[in-house]
This record gives sequence, C-alpha cells and structure tokens, in this order.
Amino acid sequence: MATVQFDQIKKSYGAVEAIRDFNLDIADGEFCVFVGPSGCGKSTALKMLAGLEATTGGTISIGGRDVTELGPGKRDIAMVFQNYALYPHMSVRKNIGFGLKMQGMAARDINTRVEEAARVLELTPYLDRKPRALSGGQRQRVALGRAIVREPKAFLMDEPLSNLDAKLRVQTRSEIVKLQKRLGVTTIYVTHDQTEALTMADKIVVMKGGEIQQVGSAEDLFHTPNNIFVAGFIGSPGMNFFHGTVATGADGPVTRFGETKIALPAKCAAMAGRDMIFGIRPEHLRVAESGPSVGLTLVENLGTEKILHFHTPGQNMLELDRTALANDEERDAQSMLIRVIDDRRYRDGETLNLSFPVDKIHVFDPDTNEVAG
Amino acid sequence: MQKRHPLGTFALYATVIVTCALLLFPIYWMVVTALQPSSNLRAYPPQFWPTDPQWNVFADLLAKHPFMLWFSNTILIAFATMTISLAVSILAAYALSRFRLRGGQGLGLFILTSKMLPATLLIIPLFAIFRSTGLVGSLWSVVIAQATLIVPFCTWMLKGYFDTMPPELEQAALVDGCSPLGTIWRIVLPVAAPGLAATALYAFVVSWSDFLFGRTFLTTTDESWTLQMGIASLKGEFVTEWNVIMAGSIMASIPIIIVYLFLERFLVGGLAAGSEK
Ligand SMILES: Nc1ncnc2c1ncn2[C@@H]1O[C@H](COP(=O)(O)OP(=O)(O)OP(=O)(O)O)[C@@H](O)[C@H]1O
Ligand SMILES: [Mg+2]
Repeated sequence: MATVQFDQIKKSYGAVEAIRDFNLDIADGEFCVFVGPSGCGKSTALKMLAGLEATTGGTISIGGRDVTELGPGKRDIAMVFQNYALYPHMSVRKNIGFGLKMQGMAARDINTRVEEAARVLELTPYLDRKPRALSGGQRQRVALGRAIVREPKAFLMDEPLSNLDAKLRVQTRSEIVKLQKRLGVTTIYVTHDQTEALTMADKIVVMKGGEIQQVGSAEDLFHTPNNIFVAGFIGSPGMNFFHGTVATGADGPVTRFGETKIALPAKCAAMAGRDMIFGIRPEHLRVAESGPSVGLTLVENLGTEKILHFHTPGQNMLELDRTALANDEERDAQSMLIRVIDDRRYRDGETLNLSFPVDKIHVFDPDTNEVAG
Repeated sequence: MQKRHPLGTFALYATVIVTCALLLFPIYWMVVTALQPSSNLRAYPPQFWPTDPQWNVFADLLAKHPFMLWFSNTILIAFATMTISLAVSILAAYALSRFRLRGGQGLGLFILTSKMLPATLLIIPLFAIFRSTGLVGSLWSVVIAQATLIVPFCTWMLKGYFDTMPPELEQAALVDGCSPLGTIWRIVLPVAAPGLAATALYAFVVSWSDFLFGRTFLTTTDESWTLQMGIASLKGEFVTEWNVIMAGSIMASIPIIIVYLFLERFLVGGLAAGSEK
C-alpha cells in the first residue's frame, strides 16, 4: 500500500506527444480512475507507472520512492490487462502463483496464498484448468487473482471489464470496488466509460489529448466542471451548450435564448457585452408556465424517464469545431435535451415553456473553453 | 456441422486416396526396389511385390561400407545445425518482432533475400573461409555453412510466429517480476512451441538432406562423409546396385520420421488459445 505521484511526466513517441505535463497525487488506498476518449493517453500513463514504457521526462514515485528508472518487476505493483494476458500454457494455479514464484517464495506458501485468492474469487473449482477451458468472466477473475495474490503496493487495471457482457460488467464492477475497499490497496483504473468512472472512483482524472483536464470526485466533476470538455464528457446525456451575449437586465445579468431573456448567475455581471458559452444539464432544465418556448422534435421514452429533444435557437447555436467539443461525435449542436421524470405525456411537435434555474447555468469563456468568472 | 452430400463424401475420400497414393508411391517403390535384385528392376511387366524379398541387403550394406559412421556424422551435423540455428534465430526473431529497431523492417527483407541466393554462389567464399580457418574436413564446416542458410529463414518464420503473440503476455510476466530473458524462457518459448517445432523440423530436414556442402568441404577421407555422400558413392561406374542404394535411403529416412513423430505433438496449433479475454 502506498501513495503514487506523477511529477511533470511527459511521453513522446517520436514527434507524437502522447502525454504532456502530467501531475497527479494519489493517496494511499485511493481508487483512482483515468477516464477519457480513445487515444487520450490513459494506457500510456498507466504503462509508464508500471514501468512498461519509459518516460520522456518527469518522475514517478510509488510510496515516496522514485521508481522512474526501475523495471516493472522492481516496482511492486500488479497489473490487470484488458485482454487479461493469462499464461496459456499454465494452469490457473500456476498463473496465479507465478508472481510469487518469481519472488522466490516457497512452494508451500505459494499454494496457501493461491488457494486463499482462489477462494475469495470463487475460482477454487477451476484451479487445475488451463485458461482456454474457462469462460470470459472466469478468465477475468484469474487475471484479478494474479494481481491480488501478490499483495502489491498498487493495482493497475487497464479496461479490465471491457471484454465482459453488460450484465457481468456491472456485477464485476461492484466486486472490484468491494475487493479494493477490503484490501485497501491503492488502485489506478483506466476506462473510457464514464459510468465506470463515476461509480467506482474516489478520484477521477479526466484526460484529453494527453493532458489532464480535471481531477476530482464524481460530485466535483458533475457540479463544478473546469471546462467545456469535462462538462460535456461527464453526465449522460451530456450537458447542453448554447452561446449568447451577456446583457444587463433589471435584476442582474441576462442573455437571450431565442426571443426570450433568461437570467444568468450574478458573476456574469462582469462580462456584460461579451459573447459567452452557457451550459445546462438536461436534468436541470424544467418545463414551466413561462420562459422561452420551444417545440419538441423528438420524445424518447425510457420508461421512468423521458428525453425530450428540441432545436437550439439559431442565434444560440454553437460552432462545435471552434470548441473543445470538436471531436465528440455524439454531440449535435442543433438539438438540446431535457430529461424529465414525471407522468405527463409529451408529444412530438408540442410547444413547451422552459425555465433555466440560474444556479444550474455554467458559464464558459469561448476563447479558452475554461469556466468563466 | 452441415450434413455432407454422399457424392461430396465420395469426392473427398477419392481426393485423399489419390493424393496419398501419389505421395506414398515413391516410398513404396523405394522399399520394393531395395528388396529385389537390381536385374528385376528392368523386368516387364514390373513386379509390384517381391516374391523373394532379399532382406540381407541391409546386412551387406552395413558390412561393406562404413555406413554407421556416415550415419552418426549426419546425425551430429543435423542436431548441431538445428540447435545453433534455433538458438540464433529465436533471439534474432524476438528482437525483430518486439523492439522497434532502426531499419528493422529493411532487415527483415534483407534476411529473406539472403535466402534467395543460390547455395552454389556462397560455396566458394565459404570454402576460402574454412580453408584459412582450417575447418575444411571438419564436420563443423558443414554445420556453419548450413546454419548461414537456415538461420535467415528460421528467423523469418519465428518472427511471424512471435508477431501473433500478444505483447501483454510478456508485460504481465515482467510485472510479475520475471527478468527479460526469463520471460523469453518461461513464457515466450512455451507459448511459441508449435512455431519452434515447425522451425526445428525445417532446420533438421534441410540439414539432413544436404549434399552440396558435404561434398565440397568433407572430401578428405570417407570417414567424415555424410550419409548422402555415402549413398551417392554407391553408384558405380559400370554397374549400380540400386537395391543397396535404396536400402541406404530407407535407413536414411528413419531419423526424419522419428524427429517428426517427436515434434508432431508440438506442431498442433492453438496452444496460445485462452490467454486473452
Ligand atoms: N507505440 C506507439 N507509437 C506511437 N504512438 C503511440 C504508441 N502507443 C501509443 N501511441 C499514441 O499515444 C496516444 C495515446 O495512446 P494510449 O494507448 O495511451 O490511448 P488510450 O487513452 O489508452 O486509448 P484507448 O481508450 O483507445 O485505449 C495515441 O494517440 C496513440 O496513437
Ligand atoms: Mg488504452
């Protein structure tokens, strides 16, 4: 068990900068998740921590000891790979015990530890099988067993659930969290699935293009995103964005949404006259008696909740390519979404009035994409 | 499985039987020729089964020629060539497959082109080298000469095999505290066993069937001859005892069959199955 620190870590592959200016402190026993879109450098960061990739600059410490120049076997960490990487020619027993054998532990002690790990992971009946005679879920547990039996300083996991089907994934997700809490071993977990990140992590590290965008708890990221990227990435469906000019109204700053004025947070008073980007989550938009009126273009009924789509008014529409959201393929600048949980029936083409709760409006600077004020 | 049409089954078996017959006929003919006097060879109609098999041809061969010596020379050469070629090409192939070497791609191609050079082209420079190092007449000359041709091809074969193995396997072993060489020994080689067996078989067969290098480097005394040279020497100037030559050939094929039977169980693929998801 140990703390983990990345200090000014850099990684380049030739001219490609995979990781830039990576600084992170992970506390002892913490469950830290790296999340971000494909190619953002999550695996690279993890492999550098494991010692499987050399760093181009900076230092990595585990338990206060600088391990930047140490080989993977000397760092006392255990890793679970996305494809599990079980040794195909060894039985489950040998697979789990391999790390202990490499440490030079006596065969009898190895056996005790392996059987204990197998019991925890319910692998006991399979100990003498080869990996090819196991199901996907069992292989995944063998990979976990190989990690926990070593009692390392830290667990490193690179998308360990992505090869499981949806149901098993949810189940294994909570098992991993329980196991981690019980063992208390610092864990760094990589995923591109924000649900995994939000449900598992003590600390979430959102990455994009090789840089850390924000570090925080699920709460922090959800309620106070640092920039447009994090705001749009976290949450499902993601935050709505629109732009508008800040004006000064009778009761404070306002902007126009379509033809109607909506109130803005008080901090916008300082931005009067400027064009800003505003964000509001689908679950925070409310259907109301008055306020901007919009026509529904699509009603998605998901049982308890409904997702209502409407056109973003023309003058409020963002040019996504000029923001940090440029590569988000699911995002459609022309529509905004409302998420409602009620018994009312909504119809396509229906006209609604919306209210924009002032404390739920996020304000971003269009030049920097950072949160403004 | 889909049920096959009876006609399809018939066609399948017919093809298998015809192919086997074509492949096995020379071996059958070798045995038949060995067991009858040479004069019967030219008989018409040919005799497909010897009425009076002459088993003493094997004893004659062993009595009149240093056949066992040639045999052990060839065994030594083939095993030495196989071992050296494998040891070198495993390391070379692993490096080519796993490390991004400068010019690694070009090197792979270059290795293949060296295989395309005819052996006769290399034989004069090799002879010069062996003469100046005093190796002419030593079995090592043939081992080294063969290895120069076999190593490139084995490297290329093994690289292809290593390329199909997920690098995470070795990374997992490294994280588990295995040393880089230990990783090759404990993980890469066992998992690559089918590829290694195929490569070893190739090296052994090529070495075993060599005639050119032996004929060039081992001419000093008939005690250093290989089987192939010995068998060739049985062909007389005026009369050729084909039955004796074929008896020698039968005995020369036995080691190949034994090596194949030993390696066969590794040749079955799919050993790597189950390492992933
Ligand atoms: N060996 C390499 N050579 C060159 N570029 C590489 C190499 N490995 C990774 N990269 C680049 O580094 C960047 C980060 O890769 P990385 O594998 O860390 O992404 P990731 O966040 O894990 O993505 P994914 O979610 O798809 O696994 C990518 O742009 C990738 O193309
Ligand atoms: Mg990855």
